[in-house]
Amino acid sequence: MAGFLLILISAIFFPGIILRTKSIASGRKGQGVFQPVRDASLLLKKGSVFSTTTGLIFQIAPVITLSTIVCAIMVIPFANQTALISFEGDFVFFSYMLALGRFFAIISALDTGSSFEGMGASREAFFSMLIEPAFFILIAAFSMFTGFTSFSDIFSHFFITGNHYVLIYSIIGFYVFIQTALIENSRLPVDDPKTHLELTMIHEVMILDNSGFDKALIHIGTWLKFAIYGSLMYNVIVPSGWNIFLQILLFLGVQSLFAVIVGLLESFRARNKMNKNPKFILSVSAIAMIAFVIILILTHKLNQ
Amino acid sequence: MVIYLIVLFAVTLVYFASAERLVTYIRLIGAQGLLLCGIALFELREVNTINMIFIVSETIAFKAFLIPYLLNRIIRASGVTKVHRQAIPGFYLLIFSVLALIISVLLADSLVNPFVNTIYMTIALFSLFTGLLLIVTHKLIISHLIGFLIMENAVFVFSLAVGNEMPVLINIGILLDIFVGVLILGFFGLRLKPHTNELTLLKD
Repeated sequence: MAGFLLILISAIFFPGIILRTKSIASGRKGQGVFQPVRDASLLLKKGSVFSTTTGLIFQIAPVITLSTIVCAIMVIPFANQTALISFEGDFVFFSYMLALGRFFAIISALDTGSSFEGMGASREAFFSMLIEPAFFILIAAFSMFTGFTSFSDIFSHFFITGNHYVLIYSIIGFYVFIQTALIENSRLPVDDPKTHLELTMIHEVMILDNSGFDKALIHIGTWLKFAIYGSLMYNVIVPSGWNIFLQILLFLGVQSLFAVIVGLLESFRARNKMNKNPKFILSVSAIAMIAFVIILILTHKLNQ
Repeated sequence: MVIYLIVLFAVTLVYFASAERLVTYIRLIGAQGLLLCGIALFELREVNTINMIFIVSETIAFKAFLIPYLLNRIIRASGVTKVHRQAIPGFYLLIFSVLALIISVLLADSLVNPFVNTIYMTIALFSLFTGLLLIVTHKLIISHLIGFLIMENAVFVFSLAVGNEMPVLINIGILLDIFVGVLILGFFGLRLKPHTNELTLLKD
């Protein structure tokens, strides 16, 4: 339960820290940390406007997307505590909950009948498809390393396996989760949330028709997804057996650090050309594959 | 420690498949030289001190500095900066690279030998395949040369794996380094006409 609450709390601060970092990096006074929350609360008070070409799918998709993300949070453990939902192979459930949410976001974009939104949906589906192997290969590597197949067991046994090479998997895990989070949330270098040209948009073009309450739900879903991946990063770099109060502080620290990294990336890094994105995303899967191969060899799984 | 360096070496190989600028290739070749030097330093514990000093200094001098420096000169002289003449798109090259990694693991597993570490064998084969892929899929001669250098690094990694038992194999690998240095300097470095594609583009 603590993990669930911590993810919700850190999600509130996440977009504000990104914006604050960007404004400091560009020398602007900028907005306060809570400005995105204020914007979202304003949107929540408003009603939604629906185009006459849209149907039921468009109306229910934001709610379904947010609820799938909340379900996915429930399988993420914190410290030595078991997650709210934990079972063998729950990482598949986690991944497919997020995929279900994305599926509804995509068909909702198609439901609008706009060619721009269809184009964005196509890109989102393609890039998500490319990043999925990276996540699964990495979790398969962790699973082989620890001998367990649920998030709670994997992360609670991650640092007590007695294997000296745990640092390699921590570093690779941290790197792959950062990249996955950036790609899943359509941030730089794959997509730019601040772009104003529909032709170069990916995620933003999909939600052009959403307004008011629905748009607030979509924004909240994005913040939660960031916090989910921040939590996964935290689990691969901090041993679960440490003091719980220290862990809470470290958790918030890692989430803030992640938000600052995203902010700095968005300040100083150029966006990829659209045709370079598949290669960039696939290289993340290739690095996860290296981790998998190294674990395969080090755990002597091959020669048995 | 060696494992960390080997993992970094493997990551540079993946980066080769996704990089597009010749400068990046050269930096990666230099980085591989430094990594190989580190691997040699930590791995070859049974080799005598003089031989060890020779191997380490040669690896740093040739692999990390001299060859990248010569390649850099060639790029400046030719004015070719991008690897834009590829037979297949870079995306497929990356897919082939991942397949090469899988094939390397399977091959290393089937060629299991009590004297050779499986990780070295895997990475050496992966490096060999990456070099071959670079040669097969690129049209510029300079890319072919870089592919050859990667294959040469593969030979060096493999010789390090058996270096404690057969130190002479490392020295043979070093001879190959010197050969490549002379090849680059003589064949490319001195005969290149500035700002022409004469020696950079492979003719059919």
